[in-house]
Amino acid sequence: MTAPAALLTPAQTQALIRKLTALADDEIILAHRDGEWTGHAPILEEDIALANIAQDELGHAGMYLELRRTLDGSDPDRLAFFRGADGYTNVRLVELPKGDWALTMLRQFLFDAYEALWLSAAQKSSYAPLAEVAAKAVREEKFHLQHTALWVERLALGTDESRRRTQNALDELWPHVAQLFAPLPGEADLVAAGMLPELEKVRASWESFVLPHLTEKCGLTLPMALAEASEGRDVHTEHLAPLLAEMQSVARQHANAEVW
Amino acid sequence: MTQTPSPHPGTQWPRWEVFKQDAPGRPWQAVGSVHAGDPDHALLTARNVFVRRPAAVSLWAVREGDILTATPEEVQTRPEVLDTPGEGGTYHVGLKRTHKRSMTFVDLVGTVEARGPGDAVRQAREEHPDALTWLVFPERAVVRTGDDPGTVDSWFAPARDKTYKQQQAYGVIGRHVGELKREGRMPGRVNEEPHIGAQKVHDHPHDPALQPAPRKVQP
Repeated sequence: MTAPAALLTPAQTQALIRKLTALADDEIILAHRDGEWTGHAPILEEDIALANIAQDELGHAGMYLELRRTLDGSDPDRLAFFRGADGYTNVRLVELPKGDWALTMLRQFLFDAYEALWLSAAQKSSYAPLAEVAAKAVREEKFHLQHTALWVERLALGTDESRRRTQNALDELWPHVAQLFAPLPGEADLVAAGMLPELEKVRASWESFVLPHLTEKCGLTLPMALAEASEGRDVHTEHLAPLLAEMQSVARQHANAEVW
Repeated sequence: MTQTPSPHPGTQWPRWEVFKQDAPGRPWQAVGSVHAGDPDHALLTARNVFVRRPAAVSLWAVREGDILTATPEEVQTRPEVLDTPGEGGTYHVGLKRTHKRSMTFVDLVGTVEARGPGDAVRQAREEHPDALTWLVFPERAVVRTGDDPGTVDSWFAPARDKTYKQQQAYGVIGRHVGELKREGRMPGRVNEEPHIGAQKVHDHPHDPALQPAPRKVQP
Protein backbone atom coordinates (compact mmCIF):
# COMPACT_ATOMS: atom_id res chain seq x y z
CA MET A 1 0.00 0.00 0.00
CA THR A 2 1.41 3.38 -0.90
CA ALA A 3 0.69 5.41 2.17
CA PRO A 4 -0.96 8.75 1.70
CA ALA A 5 1.24 9.52 4.69
CA ALA A 6 2.95 12.20 2.64
CA LEU A 7 -0.24 14.23 2.98
CA LEU A 8 -0.10 14.15 6.77
CA THR A 9 1.60 16.72 8.94
CA PRO A 10 4.09 15.27 11.45
CA ALA A 11 1.61 16.00 14.25
CA GLN A 12 -1.17 14.22 12.37
CA THR A 13 1.07 11.23 11.77
CA GLN A 14 1.83 10.96 15.47
CA ALA A 15 -1.85 11.30 16.38
CA LEU A 16 -2.82 8.65 13.83
CA ILE A 17 -0.18 6.26 15.13
CA ARG A 18 -1.56 6.77 18.64
CA LYS A 19 -5.11 6.14 17.49
CA LEU A 20 -4.32 3.03 15.42
CA THR A 21 -2.38 1.58 18.34
CA ALA A 22 -5.21 2.27 20.78
CA LEU A 23 -7.72 0.63 18.43
CA ALA A 24 -5.47 -2.40 18.07
CA ASP A 25 -4.76 -2.64 21.78
CA ASP A 26 -8.47 -2.76 22.63
CA GLU A 27 -8.93 -5.64 20.20
CA ILE A 28 -5.87 -7.59 21.33
CA ILE A 29 -6.76 -7.47 25.00
CA LEU A 30 -10.45 -8.21 24.45
CA ALA A 31 -9.54 -11.11 22.17
CA HIS A 32 -7.30 -12.52 24.86
CA ARG A 33 -10.07 -12.32 27.48
CA ASP A 34 -12.46 -14.04 25.06
CA GLY A 35 -9.81 -16.62 24.29
CA GLU A 36 -9.65 -17.53 27.97
CA TRP A 37 -13.00 -19.27 27.46
CA THR A 38 -11.60 -21.68 24.90
CA GLY A 39 -12.37 -25.12 26.26
CA HIS A 40 -14.49 -23.64 29.06
CA ALA A 41 -17.54 -22.05 27.42
CA PRO A 42 -21.00 -23.26 28.51
CA ILE A 43 -21.52 -25.38 25.39
CA LEU A 44 -19.33 -26.52 22.53
CA GLU A 45 -21.10 -24.30 20.00
CA GLU A 46 -20.44 -21.17 22.05
CA ASP A 47 -16.86 -22.24 22.65
CA ILE A 48 -16.36 -22.21 18.90
CA ALA A 49 -18.36 -19.01 18.45
CA LEU A 50 -16.40 -17.04 21.01
CA ALA A 51 -13.08 -18.31 19.65
CA ASN A 52 -14.27 -17.10 16.23
CA ILE A 53 -15.12 -13.70 17.63
CA ALA A 54 -11.75 -13.48 19.36
CA GLN A 55 -9.99 -14.40 16.13
CA ASP A 56 -11.92 -11.74 14.23
CA GLU A 57 -10.93 -9.10 16.80
CA LEU A 58 -7.29 -10.15 16.53
CA GLY A 59 -7.61 -9.86 12.78
CA HIS A 60 -8.82 -6.29 13.18
CA ALA A 61 -5.90 -5.52 15.46
CA GLY A 62 -3.57 -6.90 12.81
CA MET A 63 -5.09 -4.60 10.19
CA TYR A 64 -4.70 -1.52 12.41
CA LEU A 65 -1.09 -2.38 13.19
CA GLU A 66 -0.34 -2.93 9.51
CA LEU A 67 -1.64 0.58 8.89
CA ARG A 68 0.67 1.81 11.61
CA ARG A 69 3.56 -0.04 9.99
CA THR A 70 3.08 2.05 6.84
CA LEU A 71 3.49 5.17 8.97
CA ASP A 72 6.50 4.31 11.14
CA GLY A 73 7.71 0.90 10.02
CA SER A 74 6.94 -0.73 13.38
CA ASP A 75 6.48 -4.49 13.52
CA PRO A 76 3.00 -5.59 14.67
CA ASP A 77 4.33 -8.67 16.47
CA ARG A 78 6.87 -6.59 18.39
CA LEU A 79 4.11 -4.23 19.44
CA ALA A 80 1.80 -7.02 20.52
CA PHE A 81 4.27 -9.23 22.33
CA PHE A 82 7.03 -7.00 23.62
CA ARG A 83 5.23 -4.03 25.16
CA GLY A 84 4.46 -4.13 28.86
CA ALA A 85 1.42 -2.81 30.71
CA ASP A 86 2.98 0.66 30.74
CA GLY A 87 3.11 0.62 26.94
CA TYR A 88 -0.37 -0.74 26.20
CA THR A 89 -3.10 1.81 25.52
CA ASN A 90 -6.27 -0.29 25.69
CA VAL A 91 -9.33 0.87 27.61
CA ARG A 92 -9.77 -0.59 31.09
CA LEU A 93 -13.12 -2.13 30.07
CA VAL A 94 -11.42 -4.86 28.03
CA GLU A 95 -8.74 -5.81 30.55
CA LEU A 96 -11.12 -6.66 33.41
CA PRO A 97 -11.08 -10.40 34.18
CA LYS A 98 -13.42 -12.48 32.07
CA GLY A 99 -15.85 -13.08 34.94
CA ASP A 100 -18.85 -15.27 34.22
CA TRP A 101 -20.62 -15.84 30.91
CA ALA A 102 -22.95 -12.90 31.55
CA LEU A 103 -20.06 -10.49 32.01
CA THR A 104 -18.26 -11.83 28.96
CA MET A 105 -21.32 -11.55 26.72
CA LEU A 106 -22.34 -8.14 28.07
CA ARG A 107 -18.85 -6.69 27.67
CA GLN A 108 -18.61 -8.06 24.16
CA PHE A 109 -22.03 -6.60 23.38
CA LEU A 110 -21.10 -3.13 24.68
CA PHE A 111 -17.84 -3.25 22.75
CA ASP A 112 -19.30 -4.73 19.54
CA ALA A 113 -21.93 -2.00 19.41
CA TYR A 114 -19.24 0.66 19.82
CA GLU A 115 -16.95 -0.96 17.29
CA ALA A 116 -19.66 -1.62 14.70
CA LEU A 117 -20.79 2.02 14.86
CA TRP A 118 -17.26 3.41 14.88
CA LEU A 119 -16.27 1.27 11.88
CA SER A 120 -19.46 2.13 10.08
CA ALA A 121 -18.53 5.82 10.36
CA ALA A 122 -14.85 5.15 9.61
CA GLN A 123 -15.78 3.71 6.22
CA LYS A 124 -16.10 7.33 5.14
CA SER A 125 -12.63 8.25 6.40
CA SER A 126 -10.68 10.58 4.12
CA TYR A 127 -7.65 8.43 4.97
CA ALA A 128 -8.26 5.75 2.33
CA PRO A 129 -6.33 2.89 3.99
CA LEU A 130 -8.46 3.27 7.13
CA ALA A 131 -11.67 3.43 5.10
CA GLU A 132 -10.70 0.13 3.44
CA VAL A 133 -9.99 -1.60 6.73
CA ALA A 134 -13.23 -0.33 8.22
CA ALA A 135 -15.29 -1.61 5.29
CA LYS A 136 -13.79 -5.04 5.79
CA ALA A 137 -14.09 -5.23 9.57
CA VAL A 138 -17.55 -3.73 9.95
CA ARG A 139 -19.17 -6.77 8.36
CA GLU A 140 -17.82 -9.06 11.06
CA GLU A 141 -18.73 -6.64 13.83
CA LYS A 142 -22.35 -6.54 12.70
CA PHE A 143 -22.51 -10.30 13.04
CA HIS A 144 -20.80 -10.27 16.45
CA LEU A 145 -23.31 -7.71 17.59
CA GLN A 146 -26.28 -9.88 16.61
CA HIS A 147 -24.81 -12.77 18.53
CA THR A 148 -24.00 -10.87 21.71
CA ALA A 149 -27.24 -8.84 21.65
CA LEU A 150 -29.11 -12.14 21.53
CA TRP A 151 -27.16 -13.52 24.49
CA VAL A 152 -27.64 -10.42 26.64
CA GLU A 153 -31.37 -10.61 25.98
CA ARG A 154 -31.60 -14.33 26.73
CA LEU A 155 -29.62 -13.98 29.94
CA ALA A 156 -31.44 -10.87 31.16
CA LEU A 157 -34.84 -12.45 30.51
CA GLY A 158 -33.86 -15.98 31.52
CA THR A 159 -33.86 -17.30 35.06
CA ASP A 160 -33.59 -15.31 38.29
CA GLU A 161 -29.96 -16.27 38.48
CA SER A 162 -29.11 -15.29 34.91
CA ARG A 163 -30.89 -11.96 35.40
CA ARG A 164 -28.98 -11.31 38.64
CA ARG A 165 -25.67 -12.14 37.00
CA THR A 166 -26.40 -9.94 33.99
CA GLN A 167 -27.37 -7.00 36.19
CA ASN A 168 -24.22 -7.52 38.28
CA ALA A 169 -22.15 -7.53 35.12
CA LEU A 170 -23.77 -4.29 33.98
CA ASP A 171 -23.09 -2.67 37.37
CA GLU A 172 -19.45 -3.72 37.16
CA LEU A 173 -18.81 -2.77 33.53
CA TRP A 174 -20.80 0.44 33.26
CA PRO A 175 -18.30 2.80 34.94
CA HIS A 176 -15.67 1.71 32.39
CA VAL A 177 -17.71 2.32 29.24
CA ALA A 178 -17.22 6.07 28.83
CA GLN A 179 -13.51 5.63 28.18
CA LEU A 180 -14.38 4.16 24.77
CA PHE A 181 -15.61 7.59 23.75
CA ALA A 182 -12.76 9.68 25.16
CA PRO A 183 -10.68 11.25 22.36
CA LEU A 184 -6.91 10.84 22.37
CA PRO A 185 -4.48 13.74 22.26
CA GLY A 186 -4.45 15.09 18.70
CA GLU A 187 -7.57 13.16 17.69
CA ALA A 188 -9.65 16.32 17.19
CA ASP A 189 -7.29 17.44 14.43
CA LEU A 190 -7.80 14.14 12.57
CA VAL A 191 -11.56 14.38 13.03
CA ALA A 192 -11.50 17.89 11.59
CA ALA A 193 -9.57 16.55 8.60
CA GLY A 194 -12.29 13.92 8.03
CA MET A 195 -9.89 11.08 8.82
CA LEU A 196 -11.58 9.78 11.96
CA PRO A 197 -15.20 9.54 13.12
CA GLU A 198 -16.26 12.04 15.73
CA LEU A 199 -16.56 10.08 18.97
CA GLU A 200 -19.39 12.25 20.28
CA LYS A 201 -21.51 11.23 17.31
CA VAL A 202 -20.55 7.56 17.67
CA ARG A 203 -21.51 7.81 21.30
CA ALA A 204 -24.90 9.28 20.48
CA SER A 205 -25.75 6.46 18.08
CA TRP A 206 -24.31 3.93 20.53
CA GLU A 207 -26.58 5.21 23.27
CA SER A 208 -29.65 5.22 21.06
CA PHE A 209 -28.99 1.56 20.23
CA VAL A 210 -27.59 0.15 23.46
CA LEU A 211 -29.70 1.89 26.08
CA PRO A 212 -33.11 0.72 24.79
CA HIS A 213 -31.74 -2.79 24.30
CA LEU A 214 -30.56 -2.99 27.90
CA THR A 215 -33.56 -1.33 29.53
CA GLU A 216 -36.70 -1.71 27.42
CA LYS A 217 -35.86 -5.00 25.75
CA CYS A 218 -33.89 -6.71 28.50
CA GLY A 219 -35.40 -5.08 31.60
CA LEU A 220 -32.00 -4.23 33.11
CA THR A 221 -31.42 -1.20 35.30
CA LEU A 222 -28.75 1.28 34.27
CA PRO A 223 -26.54 1.93 37.27
CA MET A 224 -26.03 5.68 36.71
CA ALA A 225 -25.46 8.21 34.01
CA LEU A 226 -22.52 7.33 31.83
CA ALA A 227 -19.69 9.03 33.70
CA GLU A 228 -16.81 10.64 31.85
CA ALA A 229 -13.54 8.72 31.95
CA SER A 230 -11.40 10.25 34.64
CA GLU A 231 -8.08 8.86 33.47
CA GLY A 232 -6.47 8.23 30.11
CA ARG A 233 -5.39 5.07 28.34
CA ASP A 234 -2.03 5.13 30.09
CA VAL A 235 -3.70 4.14 33.37
CA HIS A 236 -4.59 0.47 33.87
CA THR A 237 -6.09 -1.78 36.49
CA GLU A 238 -3.97 -4.41 38.22
CA HIS A 239 -5.41 -6.99 35.82
CA LEU A 240 -3.49 -5.99 32.68
CA ALA A 241 0.03 -6.99 33.71
CA PRO A 242 -0.82 -10.65 34.50
CA LEU A 243 -2.79 -10.89 31.25
CA LEU A 244 0.19 -9.65 29.25
CA ALA A 245 2.56 -11.92 31.13
CA GLU A 246 0.55 -14.91 30.01
CA MET A 247 -0.20 -13.66 26.50
CA GLN A 248 3.43 -12.76 25.80
CA SER A 249 5.16 -15.65 27.54
CA VAL A 250 5.78 -17.80 24.46
CA ALA A 251 6.95 -14.91 22.28
CA ARG A 252 9.29 -13.68 24.99
CA GLN A 253 10.73 -17.12 25.69
CA HIS A 254 11.41 -17.69 22.00
CA ALA A 255 12.13 -14.16 20.85
CA ASN A 256 14.03 -15.31 17.76
CA ALA A 257 11.47 -17.83 16.60
CA GLU A 258 10.49 -17.35 12.98
CA VAL A 259 7.90 -20.04 12.52
CA TRP A 260 5.09 -20.43 15.03
CA MET B 1 -35.93 -41.91 14.12
CA THR B 2 -34.88 -43.11 17.51
CA GLN B 3 -34.34 -40.53 20.18
CA THR B 4 -32.49 -41.26 23.37
CA PRO B 5 -34.45 -39.88 26.29
CA SER B 6 -32.54 -37.17 28.16
CA PRO B 7 -31.34 -38.17 31.62
CA HIS B 8 -32.36 -34.66 32.74
CA PRO B 9 -35.60 -33.92 30.92
CA GLY B 10 -36.31 -30.23 30.43
CA THR B 11 -32.74 -29.13 31.07
CA GLN B 12 -31.24 -29.76 27.64
CA TRP B 13 -31.46 -27.44 24.65
CA PRO B 14 -32.90 -29.14 21.58
CA ARG B 15 -30.68 -30.23 18.73
CA TRP B 16 -31.08 -28.51 15.37
CA GLU B 17 -29.98 -30.03 12.10
CA VAL B 18 -28.11 -27.47 9.99
CA PHE B 19 -28.42 -27.27 6.21
CA LYS B 20 -25.93 -25.15 4.32
CA GLN B 21 -26.04 -23.83 0.77
CA ASP B 22 -22.55 -23.16 -0.62
CA ALA B 23 -23.55 -21.06 -3.62
CA PRO B 24 -26.72 -19.93 -5.35
CA GLY B 25 -28.24 -22.83 -7.26
CA ARG B 26 -26.53 -25.47 -5.13
CA PRO B 27 -28.64 -27.78 -2.97
CA TRP B 28 -28.87 -27.20 0.78
CA GLN B 29 -26.81 -29.93 2.44
CA ALA B 30 -26.88 -31.33 5.95
CA VAL B 31 -23.56 -30.42 7.54
CA GLY B 32 -24.14 -31.31 11.18
CA SER B 33 -26.09 -30.09 14.16
CA VAL B 34 -26.05 -27.51 16.93
CA HIS B 35 -27.72 -27.30 20.31
CA ALA B 36 -29.59 -24.05 20.84
CA GLY B 37 -32.40 -22.64 22.93
CA ASP B 38 -34.40 -21.09 20.09
CA PRO B 39 -34.39 -20.68 16.29
CA ASP B 40 -32.39 -17.42 16.20
CA HIS B 41 -29.78 -18.86 18.50
CA ALA B 42 -29.60 -22.01 16.37
CA LEU B 43 -28.81 -20.00 13.22
CA LEU B 44 -26.21 -17.84 14.98
CA THR B 45 -24.32 -20.78 16.40
CA ALA B 46 -24.66 -22.68 13.12
CA ARG B 47 -22.99 -19.81 11.33
CA ASN B 48 -20.09 -19.90 13.76
CA VAL B 49 -19.69 -23.64 13.69
CA PHE B 50 -20.23 -24.35 9.99
CA VAL B 51 -19.66 -21.18 7.96
CA ARG B 52 -16.42 -19.86 9.34
CA ARG B 53 -14.78 -21.27 6.23
CA PRO B 54 -15.39 -21.85 3.38
CA ALA B 55 -18.05 -19.63 1.86
CA ALA B 56 -21.79 -20.17 2.13
CA VAL B 57 -24.80 -18.13 1.08
CA SER B 58 -27.66 -19.54 3.15
CA LEU B 59 -28.30 -21.55 6.30
CA TRP B 60 -31.37 -23.42 7.45
CA ALA B 61 -31.91 -24.95 10.87
CA VAL B 62 -34.57 -27.55 11.64
CA ARG B 63 -35.34 -28.84 15.11
CA GLU B 64 -34.45 -32.50 15.48
CA GLY B 65 -37.99 -33.36 16.58
CA ASP B 66 -39.42 -32.03 13.31
CA ILE B 67 -37.32 -34.36 11.16
CA LEU B 68 -38.26 -37.90 10.16
CA THR B 69 -35.67 -40.17 8.62
CA ALA B 70 -35.85 -43.74 7.37
CA THR B 71 -33.49 -46.19 5.71
CA PRO B 72 -34.62 -49.00 3.37
CA GLU B 73 -33.84 -51.47 6.18
CA GLU B 74 -36.02 -49.56 8.60
CA VAL B 75 -38.91 -49.48 6.13
CA GLN B 76 -38.52 -53.26 5.74
CA THR B 77 -38.59 -53.99 9.45
CA ARG B 78 -40.95 -51.18 10.51
CA PRO B 79 -43.24 -50.41 7.56
CA GLU B 80 -45.45 -48.34 9.89
CA VAL B 81 -42.84 -45.56 9.61
CA LEU B 82 -44.60 -44.72 6.31
CA ASP B 83 -47.75 -43.98 8.32
CA THR B 84 -46.08 -41.63 10.81
CA PRO B 85 -48.82 -39.09 11.42
CA GLY B 86 -48.44 -35.32 11.43
CA GLU B 87 -49.59 -32.15 9.78
CA GLY B 88 -50.22 -32.18 6.06
CA GLY B 89 -48.50 -29.70 3.78
CA THR B 90 -45.24 -29.06 1.99
CA TYR B 91 -42.35 -31.30 3.07
CA HIS B 92 -38.70 -30.97 2.15
CA VAL B 93 -37.01 -34.16 1.03
CA GLY B 94 -33.37 -34.96 1.67
CA LEU B 95 -31.39 -37.96 0.48
CA LYS B 96 -28.27 -39.72 1.56
CA ARG B 97 -26.96 -41.33 -1.60
CA THR B 98 -23.47 -42.52 -0.83
CA HIS B 99 -21.30 -43.92 1.91
CA LYS B 100 -18.36 -41.93 0.59
CA ARG B 101 -16.64 -39.95 3.30
CA SER B 102 -17.64 -36.33 3.05
CA MET B 103 -18.27 -33.22 5.10
CA THR B 104 -21.95 -33.42 4.12
CA PHE B 105 -24.23 -36.39 4.31
CA VAL B 106 -27.70 -35.42 3.07
CA ASP B 107 -28.70 -33.23 0.13
CA LEU B 108 -32.10 -31.57 -0.04
CA VAL B 109 -33.53 -32.44 -3.46
CA GLY B 110 -36.95 -30.76 -3.49
CA THR B 111 -40.35 -30.78 -1.88
CA VAL B 112 -43.47 -32.91 -1.89
CA GLU B 113 -47.06 -32.20 -0.87
CA ALA B 114 -47.79 -34.81 1.78
CA ARG B 115 -50.48 -35.76 4.31
CA GLY B 116 -47.80 -36.06 7.00
CA PRO B 117 -44.17 -37.03 7.55
CA GLY B 118 -44.78 -40.73 6.90
CA ASP B 119 -46.47 -39.94 3.60
CA ALA B 120 -43.58 -37.64 2.68
CA VAL B 121 -41.11 -40.49 3.25
CA ARG B 122 -43.35 -42.78 1.20
CA GLN B 123 -43.23 -40.34 -1.73
CA ALA B 124 -39.49 -39.78 -1.34
CA ARG B 125 -38.99 -43.53 -1.44
CA GLU B 126 -41.08 -43.97 -4.57
CA GLU B 127 -39.22 -41.22 -6.34
CA HIS B 128 -35.71 -42.08 -5.10
CA PRO B 129 -35.75 -45.86 -4.51
CA ASP B 130 -31.96 -46.10 -4.49
CA ALA B 131 -31.32 -43.66 -1.64
CA LEU B 132 -29.52 -44.93 1.45
CA THR B 133 -31.63 -42.70 3.72
CA TRP B 134 -34.69 -40.53 3.21
CA LEU B 135 -35.11 -37.44 5.37
CA VAL B 136 -38.19 -35.21 5.50
CA PHE B 137 -39.36 -32.18 7.45
CA PRO B 138 -42.24 -29.77 7.01
CA GLU B 139 -41.67 -26.36 5.48
CA ARG B 140 -43.08 -24.65 8.60
CA ALA B 141 -40.24 -26.16 10.69
CA VAL B 142 -37.48 -24.37 8.77
CA VAL B 143 -35.74 -21.29 10.13
CA ARG B 144 -33.62 -19.49 7.55
CA THR B 145 -31.02 -16.80 7.36
CA GLY B 146 -32.22 -13.70 5.54
CA ASP B 147 -31.23 -13.22 1.93
CA ASP B 148 -31.04 -9.42 2.24
CA PRO B 149 -27.67 -7.84 1.34
CA GLY B 150 -27.01 -6.90 4.99
CA THR B 151 -27.24 -10.49 6.21
CA VAL B 152 -25.28 -11.93 3.33
CA ASP B 153 -22.59 -9.29 3.88
CA SER B 154 -22.14 -9.81 7.61
CA TRP B 155 -22.88 -13.55 7.92
CA PHE B 156 -21.29 -15.00 4.80
CA ALA B 157 -19.11 -12.55 2.89
CA PRO B 158 -16.21 -12.37 5.41
CA ALA B 159 -15.54 -16.11 5.12
CA ARG B 160 -14.87 -15.81 1.41
CA ASP B 161 -11.76 -13.70 1.92
CA LYS B 162 -10.22 -15.94 4.54
CA THR B 163 -7.48 -18.35 3.69
CA TYR B 164 -7.81 -21.86 4.97
CA LYS B 165 -6.36 -25.25 4.36
CA GLN B 166 -7.96 -28.59 3.92
CA GLN B 167 -7.19 -30.98 6.73
CA GLN B 168 -5.03 -33.02 4.39
CA ALA B 169 -2.80 -29.99 3.72
CA TYR B 170 -1.36 -30.12 7.22
CA GLY B 171 1.80 -32.04 7.85
CA VAL B 172 1.65 -35.40 9.54
CA ILE B 173 4.24 -37.47 11.33
CA GLY B 174 5.47 -40.18 9.00
CA ARG B 175 3.80 -40.30 5.62
CA HIS B 176 0.46 -38.92 4.59
CA VAL B 177 -2.12 -41.61 4.02
CA GLY B 178 -2.84 -40.04 0.61
CA GLU B 179 0.69 -40.79 -0.55
CA LEU B 180 0.34 -44.40 0.48
CA LYS B 181 -2.97 -44.63 -1.31
CA ARG B 182 -1.56 -43.15 -4.51
CA GLU B 183 1.20 -45.73 -4.41
CA GLY B 184 -1.43 -48.42 -4.19
CA ARG B 185 -0.35 -49.41 -0.69
CA MET B 186 -3.72 -48.62 0.88
CA PRO B 187 -7.15 -49.86 -0.16
CA GLY B 188 -9.55 -47.33 -1.66
CA ARG B 189 -8.74 -44.07 -3.32
CA VAL B 190 -7.94 -40.61 -2.02
CA ASN B 191 -11.00 -38.55 -1.26
CA GLU B 192 -10.33 -35.32 -3.08
CA GLU B 193 -12.91 -32.56 -2.86
CA PRO B 194 -13.04 -30.04 -5.72
CA HIS B 195 -10.77 -27.04 -5.29
CA ILE B 196 -9.80 -23.81 -6.95
CA GLY B 197 -6.31 -23.22 -5.61
CA ALA B 198 -6.44 -23.71 -1.84
CA GLN B 199 -10.16 -22.84 -1.70
CA LYS B 200 -12.60 -25.67 -1.66
CA VAL B 201 -15.39 -24.95 -4.10
CA HIS B 202 -18.20 -26.75 -2.32
CA ASP B 203 -18.79 -29.75 -0.14
CA HIS B 204 -20.68 -31.69 -2.72
CA PRO B 205 -19.21 -35.17 -2.98
CA HIS B 206 -21.28 -36.41 -5.89
CA ASP B 207 -20.99 -36.26 -9.62
CA PRO B 208 -23.43 -33.52 -10.69
CA ALA B 209 -24.19 -35.45 -13.87
CA LEU B 210 -25.78 -38.18 -11.77
CA GLN B 211 -28.02 -35.78 -9.85
CA PRO B 212 -31.71 -35.70 -10.68
CA ALA B 213 -32.93 -32.14 -11.15
CA PRO B 214 -34.53 -30.71 -8.00
CA ARG B 215 -38.30 -30.85 -8.36
CA LYS B 216 -38.78 -27.49 -6.78
CA VAL B 217 -36.18 -24.98 -5.81
CA GLN B 218 -36.63 -22.83 -2.77
CA PRO B 219 -37.00 -19.12 -3.45
